[in-house]
Amino acid sequence: MSENKILFNTGSLDSLSQEIGKLASIEDSKLKLTPDNADSGLAKLVLTLVELIRKLVEKQAMRRVDGGSLTDDEIERLGETLMKLELKMEELKKHFNLTDRDLNINLGPLGDLM
Amino acid sequence: MEKMIYTLIAVNEGSGKLDQLLLDMKGISGVALNTVCLNGIAAVVGGNNKSDLISDKANALEFAGIIDKLSHGFTLLPMRYGSFMESTDAIALMLERNYQEIEQNLRKVEGKFEFGLKVFCDSEKLKASIILKTEAETGSTTNASPEVKNSVFREYVNAKLKAHRLEELMISYVDTVIAAINAQLAILQAEHKFKKMASAAILIDSIFLLEKGKKNELVDAIKILQSQFPGLDFVLTGPWPPYSFVETTIK
Repeated sequence: MSENKILFNTGSLDSLSQEIGKLASIEDSKLKLTPDNADSGLAKLVLTLVELIRKLVEKQAMRRVDGGSLTDDEIERLGETLMKLELKMEELKKHFNLTDRDLNINLGPLGDLM
Repeated sequence: MEKMIYTLIAVNEGSGKLDQLLLDMKGISGVALNTVCLNGIAAVVGGNNKSDLISDKANALEFAGIIDKLSHGFTLLPMRYGSFMESTDAIALMLERNYQEIEQNLRKVEGKFEFGLKVFCDSEKLKASIILKTEAETGSTTNASPEVKNSVFREYVNAKLKAHRLEELMISYVDTVIAAINAQLAILQAEHKFKKMASAAILIDSIFLLEKGKKNELVDAIKILQSQFPGLDFVLTGPWPPYSFVETTIK
């Protein structure tokens, strides 16, 4: 480039270079479906959607707990349900050899799914 | 022969100046650059072969460098790296089909450049300070109520609730910073796009479209913001070609 593109920066350039490193790793978070990996690719896609819905449910549940509209018993049952969902999700991730990072698909210009 | 399109340029006064400039420039892999023109719009193209083009950092930077150089002399719309068409005739047809949209986008970015502003933070430090500040202001804690039953499920909900409250506080803080940025930049009338909490370290990832002549005013505004939020790191970059403000899908 013909000129210095950093117009203002008070910190070190470490943060910027780390960010560039993250951008380079975006390739890993793209969903790669090919004839050779249809099974694992599909599992990744399905589990990503399940995880997204689980997190949305959890968020909504926390809003209700925070709003004070649930009784102690309801909170207790909610806790049990959410905990079991999380454990089941961990089990499925382990089964399909996936990590949290694998389930965060990069949607290009829209950013990461979660 | 297939052609790679680098950028679409407004050449209202004819493409002579552009053609002259392109004589001194080379495309990726040293190919010659030339133009395909239609009524004041020129597509800058190079004779790269799709099969030979490697999508690596060096080529991407070279591609960006060509667009950057041209952006200093002309109003342009950058094309995505690796945009190929089978012939110059196909490019001419594409220009004809999309003429109105291309022209509208060129008018929108005329004389303007893109600037990027990233706001970095030490997320752990920031979370701790937000919690302290909130507790001091409200006299309460972000922890869940202590009088609740101590079952494992309740503990689980409490931990989730604590994380949820912290996230809400972080979002509220980010909104405060964005409001301060908007207040500072209102006078510059810049078009903007904000992305909140792009990553753990990047609190705000934003881009602005404004006239290049306002660059120094923008830098001054960011300096003021930095002094308002000493715990954050503001990084301003630019001027860039208007990568993020082109809203068209080539038909």
